[in-house]
Amino acid sequence: MENNNFVVQMKGISKVYPNGIAANRNVDFFVKKGEIHALMGENGAGKSTLMKILFGLEQPTEGEIIINGEEVNLSSPTVAISKGIGMVHQHFMLVPSLTVAENIVLGMAPIKNSVFIDYKKAIQITEEVSQKYNLLVNPNAKVMDIPVGMKQKVEILKALVRGASILILDEPTAVLTTQETSELFKELITLKQQGYTIIFISHKLNEIKQITDRLTIMRAGKSMGVYETATTSQQQISRLMVGRDVILTVEKEKAQPQETVLKVRDLEYTNKWNKKMLDKLSFSVRQGEILGIAGVEGNGQRELVEMLFNLNSPDNGTITVNGVNLINLPQSKIRDNRVSLIPEDRMTYGIADAATIEENVISDRFADKRLNIGPLFDMKMIHKESDKLIKDYAILCKSRKQPVKMLSGGNIQKVVVARELSSDPVMIIADQPTRGIDVGATEFIRKKLIELSRAGAAVLLVSADLNEVMELSDSLIVLYGGKVVAYFENTSELDDTVMGEYMLGLKHQSPEEIERVCHD
Amino acid sequence: MTNRRMLVFNILRGTAAIFLALGVGFIFIILSSDEPLNALRYLMVGPLFSIRDGALSFNATSFQTILAAMIPTIFTGLAVCVMFSASQFNLAGEGSVMLGGFVGALCAIYFNMPSWLHPVVCVLLGAAVSGLVMLIPALLKVKLGASEMVTSLMLNYIIMFVVLHFLNYNFADRSKGATQTFPFQPTAQIPALIEGSSKLSWGFIVALVFVVIVALFMYRTKWGYAIRMIGINQPFSKYSGMKVGAIIVLSQVIGGILSGMGGGIEVLGRYNTYLWRELPGYGWTGITIAILAKNNPIFVPFAAFFIAYLDKGCQLMATYSDVPSEMIDIIQASIFLFFAAEQFLAKYRQKIVVKNTRLEMGLTENNNLSQERRDA
Repeated sequence: MENNNFVVQMKGISKVYPNGIAANRNVDFFVKKGEIHALMGENGAGKSTLMKILFGLEQPTEGEIIINGEEVNLSSPTVAISKGIGMVHQHFMLVPSLTVAENIVLGMAPIKNSVFIDYKKAIQITEEVSQKYNLLVNPNAKVMDIPVGMKQKVEILKALVRGASILILDEPTAVLTTQETSELFKELITLKQQGYTIIFISHKLNEIKQITDRLTIMRAGKSMGVYETATTSQQQISRLMVGRDVILTVEKEKAQPQETVLKVRDLEYTNKWNKKMLDKLSFSVRQGEILGIAGVEGNGQRELVEMLFNLNSPDNGTITVNGVNLINLPQSKIRDNRVSLIPEDRMTYGIADAATIEENVISDRFADKRLNIGPLFDMKMIHKESDKLIKDYAILCKSRKQPVKMLSGGNIQKVVVARELSSDPVMIIADQPTRGIDVGATEFIRKKLIELSRAGAAVLLVSADLNEVMELSDSLIVLYGGKVVAYFENTSELDDTVMGEYMLGLKHQSPEEIERVCHD
Repeated sequence: MTNRRMLVFNILRGTAAIFLALGVGFIFIILSSDEPLNALRYLMVGPLFSIRDGALSFNATSFQTILAAMIPTIFTGLAVCVMFSASQFNLAGEGSVMLGGFVGALCAIYFNMPSWLHPVVCVLLGAAVSGLVMLIPALLKVKLGASEMVTSLMLNYIIMFVVLHFLNYNFADRSKGATQTFPFQPTAQIPALIEGSSKLSWGFIVALVFVVIVALFMYRTKWGYAIRMIGINQPFSKYSGMKVGAIIVLSQVIGGILSGMGGGIEVLGRYNTYLWRELPGYGWTGITIAILAKNNPIFVPFAAFFIAYLDKGCQLMATYSDVPSEMIDIIQASIFLFFAAEQFLAKYRQKIVVKNTRLEMGLTENNNLSQERRDA
């Protein structure tokens, strides 16, 4: 048999979700026996989908999967487990009120007298595997009482007890402390030495360099190739992950910044897992400029945007737009102050998928006097408004009556953008405005943002796409660990290698340089 | 074209559900009857046609009886449409019907008014009280996050026993053998639309008017719009600036008002004294109707007709053949099951979506190509 040193061969995998989003496009993914293989990529790059397919949680639309030389149809996790695949999810799948031993034998518990669960045997099994793989856990402790690091060990043991020889770890270090992380790495290396294959999903460069043998990088649903970890530099990886495909140049006049519109000062937020997501974050956005926020995802961008639109409350700090405090202000009032948001998660916040295009574009203005006559809608005005927006924003559709979920990703985003940018905003927050959409729509949305900023709106652009954030912004800040680590007043002379170093926390500017972004 | 494909699919799915449900019913009929064909004939054509010596003739009274039976269920169907559109699974329609009927009856007994005004006041008062009581599950949901499904379900029994308490201890006519109130004032009765034994009152016309009103409310006003958007996607509605909590309360109060109105109209149109001693069942039927109508008020009368027709057919079948009338419950339950099962034919739906996506991706690519050509 050819290629019999590959334990996992996924060939030409494509996946179209029921909502029409193509998460994987013709992806090849090969893993050798006994290696630690990193699967890298931004959120939304398609790595989770690929792993869900491998674990039988999702069915591929196209493509074939070969495990240990045998072509398989992974129709459910049960089938995947029987083929020796185990997955440790980012959010643990454990029963908190049961003990460690009970969790480990769950669904395959040893039975005594053909009726009762043999708890002693369960403990014995747990202790055996625990020692065999050097993953030390206390079998009698309840899962709700043990620390996160130990929960993860329980998850790994659970997979091993079920006969897994290929382990998928989905961002295993995201929830761990530094000590727990280094402990995990030792354990993973032990497992590798015993012949286990590990697929390690992450976007933390130093970790990848530390323990993986090879890596596959994904971007926008496609594989960017396979690389030997030892001979690939962090810079190369970062370029492949977040870097630019083609140098897109966006033509725009020089910005003429006026007064400050948005003021964010000393914003602090600790999430429910006790992780500090925003750490004394301060910046300003002025009329007529586009301020970009660059950074690897998970460094506080999402939390920041949520606070700007009162979808979450900070622990400390202030947010004002033209002097009006936005914290705890209802969204209708935020919109009355002419603040618009193009949300990152367009399917959750941006649209009501089963509603028509028309119903989606009027969701912020349906109560306006102009669209109502007495208690009834003025359908003529509403039709006029939606037809105008469909035309102005070049939304490709059959009619205004088409449900939004029937549109392609790019056109769905245009619906969102049409609504958000047509309300005469003074402050536009654009969070990943072009993620996962086609080139035509991307260009259209970028042009609109420039047009509005030159007409006097303040634009805050949050984007994980380095190309976009560097070309579109007039000035730019880099977020790392919930803090501003760099401020560049002029983006035109930046190069992406330097940017990559700031984004991955290898470098940071002095407090004095950073403070300039407050324009006080 | 893609829209049409989905529409065809939805109609196909609806028809398939009804046929599958009837199919299950037929199996039971065949199993339980010695003369299945005769039973089937009563079930399917009996409600509209008299069968004499093998000849069919249209039976107008029977038709009117079916229309009369639709009056309360159109109201409860509309009520459920409004609440389910907001994704509020409030099941207290049942109690609201009973309460609205009871309050309406009390007004009909103890108020003195001119005959055109009296029933209107009775019905509106009953509706208002039912609407107010719906504040309980609605506010518990919005303020405390308590599941409206649980609280409203329990509320039905609270309403029932409260009504029974007042009926037994305060308002019962002791001169009668059964527990019932004193007779209504003649001014309070809702007049018959067609004289005869069918009990078809003007309430039917009112019900149809409310179908139009509720349809306008849901599709032509800002409140109906907000209710529907919240039902589709609550985070989206919040982000768009809608007052989500207030609209959730509104939808349930409207549900209570409509159900209560249905109860009042049914009591004043059909009886001359109040005698419901248990939940009348129209609330549950309303849920089936709303599901059949896909929460669209315009389809409610059709769904209500379908259910009333089946009901009547089963009664006839039970009277004139050897099949028990419980058959209707089996058929209704299976329709409910097939409609509620979201995964029903889901595989086929996924295929349509994939096809559409491909088509559109192809379309955009072609567009881009022709754009590039034009640019060149």
